[in-house]
Amino acid sequence: MILTPKMKLLLASGLASLMLMSPALAENMLRISNTEDPKTADAQMTTDLYTLPLNIFDRLVESETTGPGQSSLVPGLAESWEVSADGLTYTFHLRAGVKFHDGAVLSADDVVYTFDRMLNPATKALNTDILTFIAGAEDRLDGKADSVSGLKALDDHTVQITLAQPYAAFLALLAAPGASIYERAFTEAAGDQFGLTPETTNGTGPFILRDYTLNDSQMLEANDDYWRGRPELDRLLVRVVADSETLRMLFESDEIDVLDLDYAPTQTPYFYGSDTWKDQIRSGPRVGIYYYNINQAQKPFDDVRVRKAFQMAIDRQTIVDKNFYGKGKLEDGVMPRGLTCYAPAEPIAYDPAKAKELLAEAGYPDGVDITLSQAANWSQKWSDMNQIVQAQIAAAGFRATIETPDEATFMAARKAGETHNYMQVWSADFNDPDNFFYTFFSESGSKSRAYNNNDPEVFADIVKARGMVDQEARCKLYQDLTARIVGTDAAWVPLFSLDHNYVVQPRVKNFVVPWNGWSDMSYYKVEVE
Amino acid sequence: MLMFALRRILVSIPVLIGITMILFIMLNVVPGDPVALMMKEHASPDVIARVRAQMHLDDPMIVRYFRFLANALQGDLGNSIKLNRPVTDLLLKAFPNTLMLAVCAALVSWVIGIPAGVLSAVRRDSLIDRFFMGFSLLGVSMPVFWSALLLQYIFAMQLRLLPVSGFYGWKYMILPAIVLGWSSAGVIARLTRSSLLEVMRHDYIRTARAKGLRETGVITRHALKNALIPVVTIMAIQVAGLLSGAVITESIFSIPGVGRITVNAISSRDMPLLQGAVLFATVLVILGNLVADILYSVLDPRIRAQMKKDA
Repeated sequence: MILTPKMKLLLASGLASLMLMSPALAENMLRISNTEDPKTADAQMTTDLYTLPLNIFDRLVESETTGPGQSSLVPGLAESWEVSADGLTYTFHLRAGVKFHDGAVLSADDVVYTFDRMLNPATKALNTDILTFIAGAEDRLDGKADSVSGLKALDDHTVQITLAQPYAAFLALLAAPGASIYERAFTEAAGDQFGLTPETTNGTGPFILRDYTLNDSQMLEANDDYWRGRPELDRLLVRVVADSETLRMLFESDEIDVLDLDYAPTQTPYFYGSDTWKDQIRSGPRVGIYYYNINQAQKPFDDVRVRKAFQMAIDRQTIVDKNFYGKGKLEDGVMPRGLTCYAPAEPIAYDPAKAKELLAEAGYPDGVDITLSQAANWSQKWSDMNQIVQAQIAAAGFRATIETPDEATFMAARKAGETHNYMQVWSADFNDPDNFFYTFFSESGSKSRAYNNNDPEVFADIVKARGMVDQEARCKLYQDLTARIVGTDAAWVPLFSLDHNYVVQPRVKNFVVPWNGWSDMSYYKVEVE
Repeated sequence: MLMFALRRILVSIPVLIGITMILFIMLNVVPGDPVALMMKEHASPDVIARVRAQMHLDDPMIVRYFRFLANALQGDLGNSIKLNRPVTDLLLKAFPNTLMLAVCAALVSWVIGIPAGVLSAVRRDSLIDRFFMGFSLLGVSMPVFWSALLLQYIFAMQLRLLPVSGFYGWKYMILPAIVLGWSSAGVIARLTRSSLLEVMRHDYIRTARAKGLRETGVITRHALKNALIPVVTIMAIQVAGLLSGAVITESIFSIPGVGRITVNAISSRDMPLLQGAVLFATVLVILGNLVADILYSVLDPRIRAQMKKDA
């Protein structure tokens, strides 16, 4: 066909306006969203928003999703490693020829620098927890040493890390986003601005940060020289959209490619019921557990019979069915499905009559007044769940009121161990039971998360399990701990684990829900057509 | 006039210092730890204690306050705790977005509000009056988030004429400007109407009519100039309010402006950022009032005469 100049002009202007209207159509770009600005790409300076670190940086080892809710540790920047027989010394052999985005070649010194930077008090890092097992880490954090004695570059490609005491989950921890590896020269030059702008961000990961507009968006571009091969996508756009209704409209008007239903949970039935969208739902279990905290420092929960009654008075299946459209499974322990060492725990029966008896035995034959707490800025799902629980437990004799302090007040009270029972969810940061047990039931966790479950045997066993090298015995210990914490102590109420649901535009391919069910993930393998 | 403006600016300095002091005390009285809030569910007591000390958050309040004041006097509002960026930079980057939204919204509200108010007053109790007053009542009483969702649904989802949200060009400004402008237009229309009706009762209007001027001339040349005096005051203060951040509108339409920064600073107890944002808003409100007073004197010769006498 011969095109006249006028037709060419028309065609060109049509194409141009198409590109302007929908940039994703014009190029191989995936458009996703988050409800909050990530604040930084520096993984040492954040504890919750990891989309940037997971796509811009790599870690020595990576947690790869191997199936729904399942993962395995695979080599990352370290192509192999050895662990000494006493479980104290880890020797990592780095991959040769890995380049940072600025062209510099990765060396063992960069790894030592990265971990030392995290522990350097001048950094004011928030993720230091993951490295405190290294020998000399505490001294460095406290400013008593200028370097970390347990960190050594044996040569350009070999890093040796010595722990202060054996810690079985150490390798899993190194796959956490907080353990991302930086380049010494670049990061030192960037100082405290590292990760705040494209100019001050540099990693080895599959994407390069190209634009960062605070409270608006971040644009990432494919790293052509990525050591695992160039990513399928040319660009990744992360928009900050705080309002869930707006988010749904953006998705339906094709301005966003992936809708994370965690950000718009009330839309779940709509999408499951929609002929247009039901086949576009991508769902996966998450290694995370919803639970009720029980504060034993407050009456009547100082009595184990009341705690047991509280466990039995909640009809968990109804909450899964009514509030989450049946997209989840009941949990009875501390470890959710998918976590290393998981084994089904003794089921907790829903039995309001028995709960009532237990309350009477505990000296509350006419029922008891209690308070449930939630921070005011938590999303609607929390108040919906608290209200349903409030109605359920009334049958057993718990007359509950729900208080909603603002988040800062709530967190301050919790830190002091003084909140009322509250409902929350915890998803695995790394695939090891220590991430759950130590967080909630260690001596410091039990107080700072307002459990006050002062069981010295539990405290001792949690510390013991951290250092055990025999994995089978270690798993057995965690299962015994579960029976003690949930059964004997009745220290918390395990509720359920939920599926993580996304809706994706038809052109999005290879979208896999990550093993831990996080909203933050690597988009290295995702494609758009 | 210059003396008057200068005096007003000087008087506002103690106001500014007073506000920073009240804010500082209030933020220290209410519970909440910025470091714990940054770490959210992952808050670990050891790390919180360490990072608080590193950020000097454990220093006595009075020390922190005077440190802030001394730096602020040198133009340094400090660094945001949560965002780790200079507060001045954050505010200056967000302000153009808020300014654009405020100007567009103000234009919408004036273009709709003033003519609607005038028409309603001139055709008092007519169908037009009822329509405009109903329209403005709707604007005043409808929550911004509701009108925003409604307009997004109609113009972005159904008609596909405008984008849902974002901030990437003039097209993205239309819906938020209408949403925000509509609620202000309601106030302006009602005020213009009542003020015009009041003025129309005065003797000089009767005189103007008696000397044979056309009704349009009476209204535009004589009545409106006087009727707009209270409206101008409201307009100036409204613009100052809009500039200090239209929180909900900025959130719904994902506009990275001052309002969102302020709300985030409050919820995360980011003291330096909040101090900066409040100072910024205070300066704008003081300037808004000053502009209103100056406009007053331009419109009302009696006030101009009073100013000269005072000076």
